[in-house]
Amino acid sequence: MILNYIKIAFRTLRKNKGYSFLNIFGLAIGITCASLIFLWVEDELSFNSEFDKQDQVYYVPTHQEYDGEWRTFNSTPGPFAEAMKTEIPGIVKASRTKHRDFLFAVNDNAINSGGRFVDADFIEIFSLKFVEGNAKDAFKNPEAIVITKETAEQLYGENTKVLGNVLTIDNKDQYLITGVIGNLPKNVTFPINWIAPFERWSGDKEWTNEYGSFFADTFVALSPEADFNAVDAQVRGLLEKKTGDSDSKAFLHSIKDWHLRDHFENGKQVGGRIDSVRLFTIIALIILLIACINFMNLSTARSEKRANEVGVRKAMGSGRTRLIFQFISEALILAFIATLVSVLLLFMLLPQFNLLIEKDLVLGLAKPLHMVFLLGITLVCGIFAGLYPAFYLSSFKPVEVLKGLKVTQGSANYIRKGLVVGQFTISIVFIICTILVYQQLQHIKNRDLGFDKNQLISLNVNGTMIEKFDVIKQDLIQTGAVSSVGLNNSGILNGGNNGSNLTWTGGTNTEDVLIFFRYVSSDFLETAGMEIVEGRGFYENMAKDSASVLITESFAKLMGQGSAIGKKIDRGDVYTVVGVVKDYLFDDMYGQSDPVMFFNYHGEASYMYLKTNPKIGTSDVLSKIEAVMKKHNPAFPFEYSFVDDAFNAKFKSEQLVGKLSQLFALLAILISCLGLFGLAAYTAEQRSKEIGVRKVLGASVAGIVKLLSKDFLKLVGLAIVIAIPMAWYVMDNWLGNYAYRIEINWWVFVIAGAVAIVIAMVTVSFQAVKAALANPVDSLKTE
Amino acid sequence: MKNTLLSLNEATRTVNSGSNKVTLLDNINLNVEVGEFISLMGPSGSGKSTLLNCIGMLDHFTDGGYTFLGEPVHSMKEKNRSKLYKEYIGFVFQAYHLIDELTVYENIETPLLYKSVKSSERKAMVADMLDRFNIVGKKDLFPIQLSGGQQQLVGIARALIGKPKLILADEPTGNLNSKQSEEIMELFAQLNKEGVTIIQATHSESNAAYGSRIINLLDGKIV
Repeated sequence: MILNYIKIAFRTLRKNKGYSFLNIFGLAIGITCASLIFLWVEDELSFNSEFDKQDQVYYVPTHQEYDGEWRTFNSTPGPFAEAMKTEIPGIVKASRTKHRDFLFAVNDNAINSGGRFVDADFIEIFSLKFVEGNAKDAFKNPEAIVITKETAEQLYGENTKVLGNVLTIDNKDQYLITGVIGNLPKNVTFPINWIAPFERWSGDKEWTNEYGSFFADTFVALSPEADFNAVDAQVRGLLEKKTGDSDSKAFLHSIKDWHLRDHFENGKQVGGRIDSVRLFTIIALIILLIACINFMNLSTARSEKRANEVGVRKAMGSGRTRLIFQFISEALILAFIATLVSVLLLFMLLPQFNLLIEKDLVLGLAKPLHMVFLLGITLVCGIFAGLYPAFYLSSFKPVEVLKGLKVTQGSANYIRKGLVVGQFTISIVFIICTILVYQQLQHIKNRDLGFDKNQLISLNVNGTMIEKFDVIKQDLIQTGAVSSVGLNNSGILNGGNNGSNLTWTGGTNTEDVLIFFRYVSSDFLETAGMEIVEGRGFYENMAKDSASVLITESFAKLMGQGSAIGKKIDRGDVYTVVGVVKDYLFDDMYGQSDPVMFFNYHGEASYMYLKTNPKIGTSDVLSKIEAVMKKHNPAFPFEYSFVDDAFNAKFKSEQLVGKLSQLFALLAILISCLGLFGLAAYTAEQRSKEIGVRKVLGASVAGIVKLLSKDFLKLVGLAIVIAIPMAWYVMDNWLGNYAYRIEINWWVFVIAGAVAIVIAMVTVSFQAVKAALANPVDSLKTE
Repeated sequence: MKNTLLSLNEATRTVNSGSNKVTLLDNINLNVEVGEFISLMGPSGSGKSTLLNCIGMLDHFTDGGYTFLGEPVHSMKEKNRSKLYKEYIGFVFQAYHLIDELTVYENIETPLLYKSVKSSERKAMVADMLDRFNIVGKKDLFPIQLSGGQQQLVGIARALIGKPKLILADEPTGNLNSKQSEEIMELFAQLNKEGVTIIQATHSESNAAYGSRIINLLDGKIV
């Protein structure tokens, strides 16, 4: 029996190549799309999952209150880790850590490599596996360093024992390799290539032992029996107990939430990437739904052709159940073929998709989970898509269909129309979303930042760059490739240093306001293209400015009426405001400009900014800069980044949403059009006799095309009406996440509607014209 | 000795057409004995097809009694009814109604699948049938590759494969030329001789003459 069904299914497929193609291709696109999304979702969900103690490991961030609002920071005071471990019974391991980039050099191999200074507990918290050496002895030597296998191989080549080797770091410090650990998976929130004892970094930095300095990334492990809520409550209370201040609360952030749920608003967890994961899961399901709808539509549209078979089979003694079973098996076979096609498509598209989303996903068909998943999709799609046609087709009464009566299409017609409206509604929503996401992205990128991100290169300060700053600057400008050079202690796009408890003239409750500090060289403002709106800039001789500061407009506003020039700011030492700088954006590009205070001091700068000459080609500029840097800072490799690239990188997740929504809008429309195309063909065929009669009676081709297209356009029109409020609701919600956002314009809806109508018209009219041009003699003769 | 195959007792079939109640079959009384060859005659719309369909249980009477092999069909559940006609009734249609996607062999085999006959048994039965109708050479062809007469031959083979007691044929030669018609009617006569009861609906006097009894219908009544 089953063999019989399969045989029939394949013969039906072959006989109706066009329909089969539309059916299989539509479903294959849907499955491909959903698979790509689910691969991405799987990757997102797998972050940090390879560490052993999933239920015990926590990161310790702090909520800090400023001006009545809680902000969340990834830092804790130095002594806090030890205090938690000794005073809170449930916490068994705790480690301070500090991230650093090292320059490792072995012979000619020099690599820049990120890692952490950590306490010995770190090894157990993350259950790091030693390939060489062992966990117990690794940190006994204060000059120890433990590197990953990958780093060891990069430095010494493969299959080399490296235990006991001495590593020179940043061309000055010596470290002894006391262990090699297995490589960490790629999808971790805190990647490390090496770890070294924390004290090696903290050394005699007194401030690292004070509760006033928040700087460390702290990790803890709870005992397996510990009650999370009880421990978390104690952690939240501990800072106040130590400092007496109630405006800082550390808390526990589970390893399972690091990647997906890391956004906090006013002290509450409010999601994070999990929102995108959810969004795209829903989109994947919707696309599958559209593809299944297509399948149903095309299957029921072909019912006329199958009706006879149903009648005969029933007359031959088939019960309804058997027919339902037959049609569902046919749908399953089609779904299975579609899955095979989609595997092929996946192989072809995955590299492109990886490029698009900047990941390294692999298809991994051999993975049982993936196998089960694909089969699951096939089954669900097959059954879901086959169910309605099966019930519909099997309901035909043999007497009617065998007599050649027209199958009464009443309900099926409505359902079919409903499905088309559904598909187009989704497509139009996608189109609108795509336009709005794009607009919002452009809106934010074109925002006046208060500085000029173009032609701006950023270098990390290392080696002798500060000591030789003056000559480096001179030589750079002499090349003609660079017009201005400035130093800054924090990245121009980053949040960086900040603090409160300042007082100033003209302000009230000033202690609560969070002020951002920037230590810059005198020409940084010019380099970054920031504008001084009042007063003067810094003197070249920084000693002359030791008590002077520049502030931004938003800070000046906090100082009350009148000019801010000459007003005093007390931050332990007292500074005089000598100039006001136009507000500029950093950290959160959607937010407001926070108040900033500039000091003329570049002794501890971390970044060097170069304004390049737009008249010289980029590669030329870079080689000229590199030559200068090689000359003055030869020990370090020349590494640079463009500020506008870094700026764009800040919109990664939005860009991802943007790119993917474009892709999905396109696919949704494509699938919907396949369905519409099939339906139009069916209608044209169904009405061929009517068309023949009309032509004989003198109807024009245009008239008939209009007759056939009109009904479909009505459906698309209805879809537009339904889609607009839906899209508006969804996008208004999405835009609500951004402080700096566009307003939704009515013309977006007009464009989306017009696009849908044009696409539908092209799809339908192809069939309509074909039907209208047909010779009426042929269609009338057949009866 | 005569054996009653089926009997109709004031069987009536009405349909609602809009607000009108239309009577298609009006108080039909009919006894069919095993081994009869009945020809139903009458103009278009007289109710021949409806009567065949009702007897064949594809349709049902709205009133009156219908007894088949002593069992009251009118009060039967759908499931039992379907069992009954699967077992005892074969259909032959004017438009042949072969399944286009199946070969001759598979078309003939289909009723057996629904009767859950074992594979080996099926093979033997179909081979037998092909042999008997002299269409062994055509068993792998699809209906579209056959002439009308040949298609109807397959249709009859399919109707016979389940060894039915009754064959219902609705204008079996309506789409055939006179030579093909004659062959088909000869075949029916032959089958009837072999013991199969046949009821055919026909317009043609000459075809009707093959039957052992002619029943004339007009406006849903036997005249």
